[in-house]
Amino acid sequence: MTASSPQPRDLGAISRRAALGALAAGAAGFALFGPRGTQAIPPGRIVLDYWEKWTRHEGDAMERIVDAFNKSQSRIWVRYIVVSDIGQKSLVSIAGGNPPDIIGLYAFNVTPYAESGAILPLDDRAAAVGMSLEQYTPGIRRVMTHRGKWWATVNTAGSVVLYYNRTAFRDAGLDPDRPPRTIAELDAMHAKLFRTDSGGGLQRVGFLHREPGWWSWLWANHFGGRIFDEASNRATVDSAENLRAMDWMQGYAKDLGVQRLKIFAESFGNYFTPENPFLTGKVAMIIQGPWIANLILAFKPDLDYGVAPFPTERGQPPDMPVGLIDTDVLVIPRGAKNPEAAMEFIAFTQRQDMTEQLATAHCKPSPLAKVSEEFLAKHPNRGIRVHYDIFRSAGAFVPPRTRVWQQFKDEYDTQVQRMWRLEQPPQVALAELQTRVQSLIDQSADQQRRRYGPKGTA
Amino acid sequence: MTALPAAHVPPRGRAERRARTRQLIAGLAWCSPWLIGSSLFVFAPMVMSLYFSFTDYPLLEPPLWSGSSNYQQLFHDPTFLRVVKNTALYAALSIPLYTIFALVLAAAMAGRARFTSFYRAAVFVPTLVPLIASAMVWMWLFNGEYGLINKVLALVGIRGPAWVVDESWVPVSMVLMSLWSVGQGVVIYIAAMQDVPRQLYEAATIDGMNAPQRFLHVTLPMISPAILFNVISLTIAAVQVFAVPYVIFRRPDGQNPAGHYYSMYLYENAFIYGKMGYASAMAWLQLLVVMALTGVLLLVGRKLVHYSRL
Amino acid sequence: MSNPSSHLESRSAPLRAFRHFALVLLAIAFLAPLVWMLSTSIKPETQAASGELHLLPAPASSTLAHAADNYSKVWSDRTIRFPLYMRNTLIVAVLGVVGMTLSSAVVAYGLSRIQWKGRNIVFFLVLATMMIPFPVLMVPLYIIFRDLGWNNTLKPLWVPAWFGSAFNIFLLRQFFMTIPTQLDEAARLDGCSHWSIFWRVIMPLSKPALAVVALFHFIYVWNDFVGPLIFLTDRDQFTLALGLQLYQSQAGNTPWNLLMAASTLMISPLVVLFMLTQRTFVQNVATEGLK
Repeated sequence: MTASSPQPRDLGAISRRAALGALAAGAAGFALFGPRGTQAIPPGRIVLDYWEKWTRHEGDAMERIVDAFNKSQSRIWVRYIVVSDIGQKSLVSIAGGNPPDIIGLYAFNVTPYAESGAILPLDDRAAAVGMSLEQYTPGIRRVMTHRGKWWATVNTAGSVVLYYNRTAFRDAGLDPDRPPRTIAELDAMHAKLFRTDSGGGLQRVGFLHREPGWWSWLWANHFGGRIFDEASNRATVDSAENLRAMDWMQGYAKDLGVQRLKIFAESFGNYFTPENPFLTGKVAMIIQGPWIANLILAFKPDLDYGVAPFPTERGQPPDMPVGLIDTDVLVIPRGAKNPEAAMEFIAFTQRQDMTEQLATAHCKPSPLAKVSEEFLAKHPNRGIRVHYDIFRSAGAFVPPRTRVWQQFKDEYDTQVQRMWRLEQPPQVALAELQTRVQSLIDQSADQQRRRYGPKGTA
Repeated sequence: MTALPAAHVPPRGRAERRARTRQLIAGLAWCSPWLIGSSLFVFAPMVMSLYFSFTDYPLLEPPLWSGSSNYQQLFHDPTFLRVVKNTALYAALSIPLYTIFALVLAAAMAGRARFTSFYRAAVFVPTLVPLIASAMVWMWLFNGEYGLINKVLALVGIRGPAWVVDESWVPVSMVLMSLWSVGQGVVIYIAAMQDVPRQLYEAATIDGMNAPQRFLHVTLPMISPAILFNVISLTIAAVQVFAVPYVIFRRPDGQNPAGHYYSMYLYENAFIYGKMGYASAMAWLQLLVVMALTGVLLLVGRKLVHYSRL
Repeated sequence: MSNPSSHLESRSAPLRAFRHFALVLLAIAFLAPLVWMLSTSIKPETQAASGELHLLPAPASSTLAHAADNYSKVWSDRTIRFPLYMRNTLIVAVLGVVGMTLSSAVVAYGLSRIQWKGRNIVFFLVLATMMIPFPVLMVPLYIIFRDLGWNNTLKPLWVPAWFGSAFNIFLLRQFFMTIPTQLDEAARLDGCSHWSIFWRVIMPLSKPALAVVALFHFIYVWNDFVGPLIFLTDRDQFTLALGLQLYQSQAGNTPWNLLMAASTLMISPLVVLFMLTQRTFVQNVATEGLK
């Protein structure tokens, strides 16, 4: 430290001042001449800003499509801008009247944005560029539309299914070609896959609800119920089906031990790392979207995995599997300066060759009803057909369509954590949650009625 | 804190009045940066948020007058009550512990004994670490499996908890993190201690006081203005705690309920749920609480704080 | 040298030794998080996330290679662009520090060296605004900056600094009050205006306090998270604080060793600055804040 420096003080002070000066000059120089972020745009083009959450390989793939579009014509130039926390940023930018031209949001955003008039309906615009809803698989159409209008398009689709580790199955004496079909089978397999280390700590579990814990609300649908009824605008969080589902989830926490689970969960690396517990074999069965295949390709290409619809209480009917459709969507926000040009870009991304190119890079299914055999045959995700089956299934479901979904989900996640830590029995937790969430729904409906009269929307 | 300077003698006569006006203009001119800046960036926003707090303002649609309904809803909102509880607990634990710890360290480091500047530097450097980086580092230290803390505990045979996951340990982790930046307080108290007149200690020693007694009866009263000032700043900061828990306790699988604090919920309401009116009501309530706490501290301080030097 | 605060001064050698022992342990405890951060930042991922307790990667000869690998990965990441965020932060810091120091000094001058009616009211207001929690201002500020067209630029982060801040005004005002008024009176007799008294008398005498304000604001900018979080959208505009958070939250895809390397990158300029200005920090920072 300088104060105890043996040098004569003057010299120390001088060199310190010189160092500070050098530092300041360096900082100023870096500030003036450091790296810059802006891309060059050819003159004379309509410039569209496209906000998207995708980064790294997913972002690269989308950027290739954007480049292809920019080269394909000479009228429009799309700038690909990566935005984090895209939901929040979109909300404030639309509210601020200065939104981008195209935003890549999530399926669950469509309802609140559509109901508050924050995004533009696409029906006429899509027709003008020769697009129709019939191009898409039935499940995807449900994500794109709300109250009879078309609001969003989808360029990579996703459904949520069971991924399982076939090597672990063999190790536990299970048949790797026979994934579980019912919850009871899943439980039995979990018991066989379960391993502890010498100290009693968890080494491998068959299944873990909280890994990765992104859809803690969907279990009700795999027990024949749901947590929200759109027609009556009522939460059904405390339904008998959901109660069974949450009892089932809490049963795992009871069996595995809350304390042991906490330590175990902290040994998991972050999601997109080689330490992801599915890749390391710590969790043998997970509920996941198709993109997990990209992770496997990147970090553990030799992982022998299987894919199947996630089991249900009564057993998955082979012809109409139950599963969540959870996709990214493309929307044109209110206040976009050039919606026609934006639509032209969107139409380009929805061409069959483009969706297939992007979907291959993302390891996801294409949203279109028509896909080439080559696409399916060469797809890097070996479970791609399982994901498609969900899109075509009458048993598929989409995130609850309510304006308050974001807060609904946050409240739900909080209660799930408390149940997972055995702080509350599901009966109590769900009853509390039901009251809370219903009051949010009612408040929102009230406000809408005051604002727009009995119709309640913009 | 300093008492405000004595009022100037009122001038008489026209020339003096003109001089007074000139002084007034000069004073206002010199203060104009702050007067303009604070009107634009502090007072106008305050008035706006007061208005918003009485409206339903979903961000995507314009504000609509709704009377006191936001304030009424607050007290029926279990999440609101939880964040109030968490924030109050954090303030109640961290402020006294921080203050006591800072005072003890300052006392131990106040002298000019050998290595003191090293100790001071060691304690002060963590206060330079930006909150976000501090949150990252602590998240890693607290990791139940690979974190340094549990590794060290394991050396002595203790199986450490899941510090930032376990709801009952979250308040402890938050306080530990806040204590890491105790250096700010230490430096302030050391400086205050250095200003205590030496004769007071000599007199106390002659009166037969030992070291702890001298600390209690001489040092503490003499540095009490510094303590009061620091406690007020700590209170204002604790009520607003945001960045560290925002990074640590907001996970993709949901918010840890024990790590949910007032300003976080306010931010979520405003910018995630788009409930600007509700968020503004929360903000004004927060302001009132801060003002009340500061007022109470100043009142208590008037009784306890020793202003002999001023 | 005399010991100015002798309340705990002890003449017995064992007690002194014990005090040093306790303080060394404490110093280790305070520095351990930073040492561990550094240590993690130079390990490969598999060794960072392991049950072992080593400071250096194994084998130790690979330390430099791993360090270079981790830091270059962070520095040259294409999506989270730390060099760019460093530059943005520096722009905000440099513009902000200049404005903050200058404006706060000007206002402090008005509150300490000029006698005028209402001065005490304004000073009280300055003190009072220190109490206002930022969340109260957050929402309307977003709207004001939106109307000014400043959102998603660096302006909301540095322009307000040019109007001074309550804390720094308070700090400088307290310092200016300690400068004898005879100095300005002499200058005024020489026909100096306020402006030249400010520049020729007050500012040169206040260098330590001005340095404190500059340092405070620099640290504040480096630290500020909420402001950038609300006002910035485009990643090209991000500051380091936001970049680091982004690096961590990015779908949770950052390994610990890289996260620690990124944290080290963010912290190191401040630590270097501290080492160069330690005396200003440890002596003036505190003393100015209180008198």
